[in-house]
Amino acid sequence: MGSHSHQELKISKFEAPQALKSAIYTFLVIGIITFALGVFKNPERLWTSYLTAFFYFASLACGAMFFIAFNHAAKAGWSASIRRFAEAMTSYFPVMLISSLVLILGFKYLYAWGNPETFHNLAHSKQIYLQPWFVITRMLIFGLGSWYFGKLIVGNSLKQDNNGDHALTYKNLSLSIGYIAFFAIFFTLFSIDLMMSLLPTWYSTIYGIYCFAAAIQSTMAFLAIVIVWMRNSPWLSGYVTEEHQHDIGKFLKGFTVFWAYIAFSQFILIWYANIPEETEFYILRSLNGWMPVSFALLIFRFIVPFLTLLPRGSKRNNTILVSISVLVLVMQYVDLYWLVYPNFYDGVPKFGGWEIGIFLGFAGLFLLTMTKFMTKHNLVAVQDPRLHEALKHHVSY
Amino acid sequence: MAKKRSIGGTAGIFLKESTVLKAAAKVRESGFIKFDAITPYPVHGMEEACGIKRSWIPYVTFTAGCAGLLAALGLVYYTSVIDWPINVGGKPMFSLPAFIPIMFELTVLFAALSSVGALFYICGMPKIDPPVIDKDLTCHKFAIFIPENDVGYNAERVEKLMKDLGADEVKKVAEY
Repeated sequence: MGSHSHQELKISKFEAPQALKSAIYTFLVIGIITFALGVFKNPERLWTSYLTAFFYFASLACGAMFFIAFNHAAKAGWSASIRRFAEAMTSYFPVMLISSLVLILGFKYLYAWGNPETFHNLAHSKQIYLQPWFVITRMLIFGLGSWYFGKLIVGNSLKQDNNGDHALTYKNLSLSIGYIAFFAIFFTLFSIDLMMSLLPTWYSTIYGIYCFAAAIQSTMAFLAIVIVWMRNSPWLSGYVTEEHQHDIGKFLKGFTVFWAYIAFSQFILIWYANIPEETEFYILRSLNGWMPVSFALLIFRFIVPFLTLLPRGSKRNNTILVSISVLVLVMQYVDLYWLVYPNFYDGVPKFGGWEIGIFLGFAGLFLLTMTKFMTKHNLVAVQDPRLHEALKHHVSY
Repeated sequence: MAKKRSIGGTAGIFLKESTVLKAAAKVRESGFIKFDAITPYPVHGMEEACGIKRSWIPYVTFTAGCAGLLAALGLVYYTSVIDWPINVGGKPMFSLPAFIPIMFELTVLFAALSSVGALFYICGMPKIDPPVIDKDLTCHKFAIFIPENDVGYNAERVEKLMKDLGADEVKKVAEY
């Protein structure tokens, strides 16, 4: 119960700063130009960078939805005042659905199963599972389902802003449990279909969880940046405090460890058993200049964030927390890049304007939907029945 | 810190959490440093009110964790590289990935046991049969105890202070 508990509660309409607005529109223009050029000039590079960036922002939106869902499911009080930021991130779902439909155009460049000539080289069981229409069906179920659950859960939260009906919170509890089950199944299939099947002869049963851990870690990093920004912004006062920042920092550290745990679990079993059809994945990622990238993941995605976030002070320090969050967000891109690119270009890392342009385009879309949502609605779920818990939230250890 | 003998002093018994929280801050402002607040459950803000500094247990945990990591590395290195090398699947004798689970486990084991040990040391446990100030302190009452060896201790002054701060009763007792 420090001095902040006496801080005056103030909330005003969010208005995106001019610099952010112009950045978003510049990003969008860059993205569209890169996409248009890529379709004609270098479709393979275009679609690999498209898949990486598409998966990156889909992970952020799904991670935010998962954050909302598990907080509802746990009846968490502390997060009530920061939930709206995660809800803003889920406003990307319609774009995610549309961009997954656009991805269908790139199937023949990306996947062995997307091409009728190479499709018949696959094992019979994989030919059944990876039929393009079947993959598209699963992808659509994932996109539509996420959107639908997002609309219901976030919609209830927005409705509550106006009428203050507590029953909506209880409705969201069961919806959230439903979403968690849906997310567990379909996010696993989503990552298997779009990422793991790039190398259709290889499989790993922990792959979905690997993508999940990476997604949640980067979501926490993104939320940490938004919280630090909002805490020091003119729009909010008293609702978001150092205590919320501290707890998101703890989540970020926790999922950093979780990511390392999953990544190591996948690696050690394959390394130990040393079966040719399994080691293929790691062999591709240890040759032709991929070894430094693999080690960069270990160091900058686990060791550096973990050791930096250990002391209590660094989670409550704006500069340190934001720097680590940016590092994690960069490493999330490197991680997805590391999952996609070794399967292409004779296993040699290729990075350049295509990747940056497409990534910026998606970043523009993501930030555009997010800022639009924040401008349209309250920055805090002001009528949440558990809001008083969040305002008094105090991390004593 | 562990104290060997019980120390006499004055305890004010409070009935409300908010009163005891304010009282603790006032007692601290009055210049007492060795006083203690006794509550049946953790009271938010009590650390700041009493001026309790951050615990040093995390440093013990971190140091012991690092020691555990190195100890495990030493253990597996000695057993599987020097003393009894066995070729498993043609892998090098010194294969770090295979050692990591053991290093992780010993890190956790050392860190956890040392933290518990440090906690016992800080709290002076095991504390067998300490004097009881008021048996309701484990249920619904709160107390602030000022030992007689505290700076500027004066039984009458302390009694008056406690009364002023809203204590329900003031007792002369021994703690620890």
